[in-house]
Amino acid sequence: MNQQPYETAVTGVGVWLVGVPDAAAWASGVVDDAVIKPVGNGLDKRNRRRASQHARALSDVYAEALAQAGADAETVATVFGSSLGEAGTMIKLLDQIHREKASPSPMAFAMSVHNAASGLVSIGGGNRGFTTSIAADYDTPAMAIAEAVGVTHRFRTPVVVACSDEAAPPDLVPEVERFDAVAAALVIEPADTQNKVLARLRGPLFVEPTIGGAEASPEVSLNPQMGLLDLVDAIQRGKRGMLRLDRGRGRGWCVAVSDG
Amino acid sequence: MPSAHPRLPITAFSIANALGSNAADVADALRAGRSGLTPVDPVFGLSFSTYVGAYTGPRVDLDGELARWSTPIARLVAKLVDDLGPAVERARQRWGADRVGVLMGTSTAGATTTELAYKAFIETGRLPFEYDYSRQHTFGAVLHVVSTRAGVSGPAWMVSTACTSSSKPLASAKRLIEAGVIDAAIVGGCDTLCNMTLSGFNCLGALSHERCIPFSANRAGINIGEGGALILVERDADEPLAFLEGVGESSDAYHVSAPHPEGLGAKLAMQRALDEAGCQPQDVHHINAHGTGTKANDVVESKAIVELFGTQVPVISAKGYCGHTLGAAGACEAVFGLLTLQHGFVPPSIGADPLDERVEALVPTERIDGSFRRVLSNSFAFGGNNIAVLLGAP
Repeated sequence: MNQQPYETAVTGVGVWLVGVPDAAAWASGVVDDAVIKPVGNGLDKRNRRRASQHARALSDVYAEALAQAGADAETVATVFGSSLGEAGTMIKLLDQIHREKASPSPMAFAMSVHNAASGLVSIGGGNRGFTTSIAADYDTPAMAIAEAVGVTHRFRTPVVVACSDEAAPPDLVPEVERFDAVAAALVIEPADTQNKVLARLRGPLFVEPTIGGAEASPEVSLNPQMGLLDLVDAIQRGKRGMLRLDRGRGRGWCVAVSDG
Repeated sequence: MPSAHPRLPITAFSIANALGSNAADVADALRAGRSGLTPVDPVFGLSFSTYVGAYTGPRVDLDGELARWSTPIARLVAKLVDDLGPAVERARQRWGADRVGVLMGTSTAGATTTELAYKAFIETGRLPFEYDYSRQHTFGAVLHVVSTRAGVSGPAWMVSTACTSSSKPLASAKRLIEAGVIDAAIVGGCDTLCNMTLSGFNCLGALSHERCIPFSANRAGINIGEGGALILVERDADEPLAFLEGVGESSDAYHVSAPHPEGLGAKLAMQRALDEAGCQPQDVHHINAHGTGTKANDVVESKAIVELFGTQVPVISAKGYCGHTLGAAGACEAVFGLLTLQHGFVPPSIGADPLDERVEALVPTERIDGSFRRVLSNSFAFGGNNIAVLLGAP
């Protein structure tokens, strides 16, 4: 993985957390107490109602990054990453089956798949191109970037990398491992893009990190997708160097961040 | 027109599902037209009847460092890694452990284990002592077992796009090798049976209470199966078993759980696979359809296939053999395609007679023996996610 890492350009970013509706708000450090739930900006009206909070958060950061990059919703490729995916929907199904002894909701079952957001965003954008949905625990941000590198190289197209995990389900996850919701996104393009470049990336790589992650609460920092938010933060604040993408909880993948 | 995208040698594969615990047994079942579907075990506690493709063969006992990762799915993937044999060691020596990726797919990951744990939580107010969420439920847990067992340290991720989950890693591997990111990859997928999945497809009205008979006029839906398959792909090889020639992916952009009525996304995926391989429709000698056995899917898929390939290429569904293995289906059925190339036969499409008169594709109900040079394998999923994989003989 470390041999001649392929260079890409970042042309858009997106952020959503409770109290933080977008990347500009994240950069400013101002928390808006009215921001409690994601909107689902990349979705059509009918599917917005059906979508989980997790899928809405993914679609919000997707839509924000896409708009900044000026990419086309009908053709852009998308890589969605999540460690837990629709864990909340899965627990709802398990409650219906085992607690209520009832038949599960057909809509909840259809929306329980890890790629629910991927499908909903492709429907919302009328996009018949490439989309995928991946998971790799705390390495999800790094592996989503690796998948995007392959797609960018193969198709010479912008790729939205959007990662999210909703708050850890308290019935299943031990208290010391629980975290709050985080969603972040990047648009990655071939290095020779004519669009305005916010930063350039090489990797993921196994190297020693030279720059640290963003300031965040312990509950936010434990989210498996925090590494992508760290990367957005580094891009916004002009931090350049080797950034670790797993907060020390994964295999140690880093990405090299340089000027645009 | 020749392809600008090099085909990838396939140097080893392994498989285990309701048809058998290894490639030889699976090939025998396909050759004989023998289904592995059986009535669902009462242990699942279902309030309805159905058939399933249950895997009853051996799994590996995980001990030592991996003991805490021991779940039915982890023990099955460990067996599949072991069954790849010395090819993995050779690839690791040739390319370096960090240049071999693990790119897999699943729809369930550890959901079977979590469902039992959560049921206990509902009944007793606490999770079982031995339940470990991060080592038994998550997607990364399965990746850890595969990477550790194979001794490789390259990029590792799990694709989870429902029923296309284990086809898409083939595409990822092809792109990453072409981009110079890795030199080889263990690709594939694995899924295990659980109440939640069976109940879910039942509530959608998609589950058949009888044996699944795709393309038949009498078909009544899906049977769910379990199992897995792994395929080793490399940048080059002296004696490849077959080639991954092209992969086409698309989205329907239509509905979250219903196929596009004209099969638009399905057709796009197949066309893109041909384009990537630099092939024409007449270069394809057999199509392994997604063929779930639902009323809607089979007709739409047949229409898309006929529009692109005509009515002369034999099209079968494997779902009547081992059920729909969901997140493992793409990998299992890619291996069925490899077995067709290797052994020279197209298995009969079990239960297709009498054929639905709206199915215009050539669906054989008897085995066809011969030499087949290229096989296309389709997988379609919730979210309108489509992929077609084109495999070629060496």
